[in-house]
Order: sequence, then structure tokens, then C-alpha cells
Amino acid sequence: MPHVVDCKITAHQEAGRGHYRMALRAPKIAAEASPGQFCMIEVRPGYHPFLRRPMSIERIFADGISLLYKVEGEGTRLLSTVAVGQSVSVQGPLGKPFPINPAWERPILVAGGIGVAPFPGLAEAIISKTGRAPEVVIAARNDSLILCEKDFKRMGCRVTLATDDGSAGRKGFASEALADLEPGPGAVVYACGPLAMMYAVHEVCVARGVTCYASLEAFMACGDGVCMGCVIEANVEIEAERMVRVCADGPVFDTTIIDWTAQRARTGGRS
Amino acid sequence: MSVNLQVNIGGLVMKNPVTVGSGTFGYGQEYNNYFDVSQLGAITVKSLSLKPRAGNPPPRLVETPAGMLNAIGLQNVGIDAYLSEKLPWLRKHGCTIIANIYGHTPDEYGQLAERLEREGGADAIEANLSCPNVHNARDAGGCKLVAQSPERVAEYTRIVKSATKLPVFVKLSPNVMDITQPALAAEEAGADAISLINTLIGMGINPETRRSILSNMVGGLSGPAIRPVAVKMVWEAASVVKIPIIGMGGICTAGDAMQFILAGARAVAVGCASFRQPDTALQVVNGLEDYCKRHGVVDINELVGGVLTR
Ligand SMILES: Cc1cc2nc3c(=O)[nH]c(=O)nc-3n(C[C@H](O)[C@H](O)[C@H](O)COP(=O)(O)O)c2cc1C
Repeated sequence: MPHVVDCKITAHQEAGRGHYRMALRAPKIAAEASPGQFCMIEVRPGYHPFLRRPMSIERIFADGISLLYKVEGEGTRLLSTVAVGQSVSVQGPLGKPFPINPAWERPILVAGGIGVAPFPGLAEAIISKTGRAPEVVIAARNDSLILCEKDFKRMGCRVTLATDDGSAGRKGFASEALADLEPGPGAVVYACGPLAMMYAVHEVCVARGVTCYASLEAFMACGDGVCMGCVIEANVEIEAERMVRVCADGPVFDTTIIDWTAQRARTGGRS
Repeated sequence: MSVNLQVNIGGLVMKNPVTVGSGTFGYGQEYNNYFDVSQLGAITVKSLSLKPRAGNPPPRLVETPAGMLNAIGLQNVGIDAYLSEKLPWLRKHGCTIIANIYGHTPDEYGQLAERLEREGGADAIEANLSCPNVHNARDAGGCKLVAQSPERVAEYTRIVKSATKLPVFVKLSPNVMDITQPALAAEEAGADAISLINTLIGMGINPETRRSILSNMVGGLSGPAIRPVAVKMVWEAASVVKIPIIGMGGICTAGDAMQFILAGARAVAVGCASFRQPDTALQVVNGLEDYCKRHGVVDINELVGGVLTR
């Protein structure tokens, strides 16, 4: 069950250019959260910005959670200026978590840019529930935007990097790095990142008969299934059920239920 | 000192004057995670249509200064799923229900109202004659809302009235030259109350992509940004009609709600403020009681229309 709580910021620092990590004291939320869920953060009191900002939960601790976010607009810029010791109002945990199953022998996490945010917590949960460290692919534009590499290595994960310019790891896309790993029977892929990247990862998985779960991002008003503002098109026959809510039906979806044609038409094939 | 907060809205008794805006509170259950929603005077549910609706393609909403612009397009579960899946919960929890309805024709409004009464699906009906998001703005030659024509408001109101004995509220649009005309038309056609205001039609363009931010081109503006417009429209309508008014538009606090009550609203609805703070409506209930105590008012009804003309 989600809560709305004022949470004290216990740590807040830059985690790569334009990216921040914020740790919050939030025992009530931590007690109920699972990797893949998110929170709605009030970036500042008052009427502007009017809406909370959805943010993935990065890691879950006994007495709180951490968030990893990128400054993209006014809301995240304001949030980045809030100091340790101050409080922010947090609503959560919200949405459906990543499924984890000990029968899945080869979990692979594929992150693009800030899409890595929910994966440190997911890797920890996979390790504690299955005893297996997942493989991790981290892709970004260049080496300065690769996040969390050390965290995954510390957990015992095999990490593969890919950058657009080759400044770290393989030059190329996340989907190409994934294909290099030759996922096959027993593998399960978890993807989070730009839409075009998730689509490419989905295609690799379909071609190889591998299940893929993607965590989607959308602009949201309520974050809680009420406003119907964050929907995407799904692959369903029933017209009235075609629009699924990223917040409440997701943010994690089996990628085969997403109508990729519609997503790609909207972004013109770009992310 | 005990304060009476109970109001009678055209035959609907509400234990306090606070409900929620249709479409901003789902079907009640969602926000019960945060507070006991049966404490509200009534729950107004998302617009119901005869068939489920998928709504508009995304993107459907964007934040604006002190508010938001939406073009949801009335995505809803439809009357059947409402009656079988949503209503039992609302009844079990003792909620007073205002069922907001939307149809393509007057006859559909009539069918919805008749069915809701027959199956115990509502304690009052709110006919949404003012949704800006169900017409394609590109080929409709602008938005044509029923609520923009006093004649059609009268026609739709009469049909809903003749389909049900439940109190009938008519939800009007601020996108008109003179709000007193549709308000009077609704009253003369037998409406038991009017709800004011639905969203103000607006638009946003991304200068970089040169595209409208919403896939439907235009959308409905809500939130604190529209509150002064809403208060003024309630005040104008209240000066001409005798039936009660449910005031809404940007209410975030009890002070905001008091503006509407003093302007002439007998009840108020909290809309998109719930998105930001799910228990806003309950805070408004508590704040209205405090307001009455602070001002030595024993019955909130005494304050309706009490704005001083300076
Ligand atoms: C996301 C959203 C969905 C809405 N859906 C409906 C609806 O289905 N039917 C309706 O009559 N009004 C609908 N409205 C209008 C609200 O009920 C209300 O009249 C309006 O938002 C003004 O109040 P506010 O500024 O407090 O939100 C919707 C508003 C929003 C923001």
C-alpha cells in the first residue's frame, strides 16, 4: 500500500554529470517497496511545479530508499538543489515491480543512460532471492555518463559497457552488447532506458525466444492509476483495453504486450 | 461549538459540502489507500459511458504554470464494469455517489441515467455536457460542446430528468460568452443543481518540434491557474439561478473552497489537486469546519453566497 510521507534527505550528491543520487529516510515505504516500483516526489511545496515527479527506486534499505535521477527539466533541477537534512514529500511505493523467479537461470539487466536507476536494487534482490548475480549491460552516450558500474561489480555482477563513441567498452548500442552475450534458453532480460533502446532490446529477445521485461517512463499526473494520463498502446484485441497505464499497470511490462508500432510512430523511430 | 456542515444539493443530502471532480478520483477505491474516502460528502466518479472507451492517443497531459492540461478523452470502464466491479466497493464503504455520465446523444444520457437508478448505481447523476476532449479539434471546426448551446443544455437536461427520479446535476463549461445563459437553461429544464466549472480549453506547442504537446491538439486546463475564472463564473451563475451550485476549479485548500462558497456554491469539488496530494479533499472538509468555528458560524449554509459587495 502506498503512503505519502515527508522524508528527510540523508545523502544527496552528484553521481555523474547532470545526475544525482538522493537517499531518503523512509522506513514505511522501504518496508513495502520492491525493485521496479517508483515514488512520486514533490520537488517543492506550493503550486509550481504543480505535479509530483515520478522516480524509480534505486535501492531499498532497512530504513529508507535511494533515488538516482537526471536533471532534465525545471522539476528535477529544483530537486537537485534541496539540501541534506531537509525533507521532501514522497508518495509510494507505486506500480508493479520486476518479476523475479529462481527458475530463470540467466538474468541479464540492460540499461541505457539514466535507465540504470532501478537496477542496483533489482540486482540485489535477484542475488538474495536466487543466489545468482545477474549480468549487466550499461550503455550510455559516453564514458562520463556510465552510472553504477562499480556498484554492480561489487555485487559480483559481470558488467559489459557500451558507448556511442566507444569511450568506454564496446562502441555501439545496448542491444548489440546484449546480442554479443548470446542470451538463449533460461535467460531473462530486464531493460530500462530510452524507448528506441528498449525496442531494439525487445527485438533481440524476440529473435532469441527470450522473455524481456521493460520498465517504461511516462509523464504522469497522479502516479496512482487515477488520471489515465500516462497510458501507452498495448497489443490487445479489445479496443477499450488498448490503453494501459504506465503507472498502475506498469511501469514494468512484458515487452510483447507493448504495441511498438505505435510507440515508434510517436517518436519518429527515435527515443 | 458544533458546526453543521450538512448540505442539501437538489435532494442529495451530503454530510459535508465536499466532493471530488469527476475524472480526478477514479472510482473512489484508489485513494482509499491514503484516507477513508467515505468521509467526503460524496464521491463523484469518472465519467461513465454506455460502452467502455479507450480515450485519446498519448501524449495526453502536460504540466502548465500552477496547473495542467489534459486530453484524456474520457477513457473509462463503461457502465457495465462500473456496476459490477466499482459500485459494490463504493456501497460497501458507505460512500454517497454522484455518477457522472457522458453520452454521444441525448438518448444515451437518458439510458445511462435510467440504468444507474434501476441498478442503485448512484445517489445523484451529474451529466457531463462539457468535456472538451471528445472531439477531434482538427476537423470539428473548434470544440463544440453541448454546454455552449443553451438550447441543447435544455434538451439534454430534460431527457435526463425524464429518465430518472434521482437528483440531476448538469456540469457546465467555462468556455462560453455568458455563463448565466446555460445555467438558466439548465434550471428552467429542471436541473436540480449545476456543477461549475469543467476545464478551460487550452493548448501548448513545443517550439522545438513545432508540434502541439497533446496528441489531440487541445486539452482542458485545470488547477489553481483557473481558480479565479471559476470563482467568478460561480458568482455570476449564482446571481441568476436558485438551484444549488457545486463549485470547482483549482481548489487546493479550505480557503480556496470558501471562495467558492462565498461566491454562491453550496458544495465544492476538489479536482486535480488530489493528484498532487491524495487527501486534499479531506483536508478541505476539516478546514471548512475550522473556518466556521473561527468565524462563529454554526451552519455552513449561512455562508453560501455571502461575499460582501464592498
Ligand atoms: C485528468 C482529468 C480528467 C477529467 N475527467 C473528467 C471527466 O471524465 N468528466 C468530467 O465531467 N470532468 C472531468 N474533468 C474535469 C474536472 O472534474 C474538473 O471539473 C476540472 O478539472 C476543474 O477542477 P480542478 O481545477 O480542481 O481540477 C477532468 C479533469 C482532469 C484534470
